[in-house]
Amino acid sequence: MSNAIATAPPADIAVRVRKLAKRFGSKTAVEDLSFDIATGAAFGLIGPNGAGKTTTFSMLAGYLRPTAGKIDVLGFAPTAVDQLRSRIGVLPQDALLPASDGVGEFLVHMARLQNLPKNEALAGARKALAEVGGQDWWKQRCGSLSHGMAKRVALAQALLGGPQLLLLDEPTAGLDPRVAYDLRRIIRERKGRSTIVISSHNLHELEELCDAAAILDRGRLVACASMSELTAANEEIRILVAAGTRRGTEPGRVPVRALRDLPGVKSAELDEERLEIVVYFERAQADAETVIGQVLRALLGNQVRISGVTKGRGLERRVMEV
Amino acid sequence: MSPITEVALVTGRELRKSFRSTKGVLLAVLSIAGGAGLAMLFAWLDRVRRENLPPEIDWRAAQEQFFSRWYAPETGKALASCPYSLWMMLVATLWLAPWLVALMAFDAVSGEMQHRTVCFWTIRVQRGSYMIGKCLGAWTAVLAVMLGMNLVVWTATAFVGHWPAADVVQWGARFFAVTLPISAAWCGIATLVGSQFKTPILSLLFICATFFCLWLVRVSAGFAETRWLAYAYPNAFDGLLLSPNLADVARGVVSTGLTAVATASAAALVFQRKDV
Repeated sequence: MSNAIATAPPADIAVRVRKLAKRFGSKTAVEDLSFDIATGAAFGLIGPNGAGKTTTFSMLAGYLRPTAGKIDVLGFAPTAVDQLRSRIGVLPQDALLPASDGVGEFLVHMARLQNLPKNEALAGARKALAEVGGQDWWKQRCGSLSHGMAKRVALAQALLGGPQLLLLDEPTAGLDPRVAYDLRRIIRERKGRSTIVISSHNLHELEELCDAAAILDRGRLVACASMSELTAANEEIRILVAAGTRRGTEPGRVPVRALRDLPGVKSAELDEERLEIVVYFERAQADAETVIGQVLRALLGNQVRISGVTKGRGLERRVMEV
Repeated sequence: MSPITEVALVTGRELRKSFRSTKGVLLAVLSIAGGAGLAMLFAWLDRVRRENLPPEIDWRAAQEQFFSRWYAPETGKALASCPYSLWMMLVATLWLAPWLVALMAFDAVSGEMQHRTVCFWTIRVQRGSYMIGKCLGAWTAVLAVMLGMNLVVWTATAFVGHWPAADVVQWGARFFAVTLPISAAWCGIATLVGSQFKTPILSLLFICATFFCLWLVRVSAGFAETRWLAYAYPNAFDGLLLSPNLADVARGVVSTGLTAVATASAAALVFQRKDV
């Protein structure tokens, strides 16, 4: 039986999920999930604990079998190892590296299982380890690595052979800020070369890394869109002002009416409690940067003290809303 | 990548892992050291027995009589001139085999399931190849320990028991060959049972319980005089495998081989459908 899907998705879709469900006995972990991930995109799976992120991720990686529905990964079922070998790289969240294996030995073995000849496997393993900054760990036992080092080695195995699709489950969970920053840098460098799917709790990280995301809650999809759509980055800007700032036309106050009259602006409000000006604009008439420029000019002209500017409402706020 | 290459890579890693772990090294050292001690004792006793037999009693005839009680008469006759200490070691090895298999194989899959290490493999190798590789890895590791033990036993038999080296090698190789299919059957059963659990200690318990049940079946078969039932216990095939009759040997090899293949395949099939 062929693992290829009868109605294969177009080439610009790397992952297609349709009516996916997973039940563990009487408990439904994921229900009626459908979304597409564009080729080359960085896609986030977002949701609170128990939302079904890891279950969905595990089905994408072929670890779990769906109870119902269909998944295409690069045109094949996720369990089609022969077709997907070395085309996908997976960083599972809580999988421990084999403690008694040497780091280099483990990576070479993984590369060999990807059908690379011995010499290429050796070179590929060294390259992947260097990519995560672990070139000095080659001879160390996996069991002797710190949590951060082990995470990087696990990421190195996912990067082996330059996969077309990278599945990363909580890539920075439990890492200190410096290692997490390094890992984000590595992932950012990978963008464009691979389609990346990241399942994470860290919304700031996802907002920074991803082009699009699916928000899950209690096993169901509650939103799926590009990051700018999710955060309304193309429709609103938020300006933080100094404490004590009030609305008005006098110097130092926020001229709300004047802001509403700016070209392209639909409405403007000052939330005096949060010290935040929210400006909604017509994306067909102006882009966010143009509106930011106009609004800042108006505010600075009125001697308003500004603490910060953001495009959109931020992923965190969006997730809280849905 | 062909399934054979996949299996070979998994088996090779399993073998390396077995002899690098404390458990593997300890088992190998204990088996070989224990085997050496027993072998010297058996070889010495055998020599004393042969040297002190009254001149009117031929030791070969005595052995033939003895072995004919254990096995079929023609097998007893064929074993009449074998070094008794080597045969004793064969019996000891066959008793040791299930224990060795249980201890070597119990955490091969369950340990990797428990820590989800298996996730690194399932995206790269067919699950069936992974399971067969694990089974073959356990079998080759057990065979390596047994071969080490046998080499010590052969040396002891030649030097302490004063047996000609050619006889020792010939009988030793034949007895070792008997352990090959039998230990393969044990490995298949251990892989099938052990891979159903994500906790190594449960895996070990259930493997030992299964082996014990199979032994009980054999004992019950003896009481109930249902000879065929005794073959549920892989060690029961030693009589066929030691027979001078090639058809018997073939029956023994095929039966133990089938047990190994059927159980390992069943383990692979179950794992194929399992969530990891």
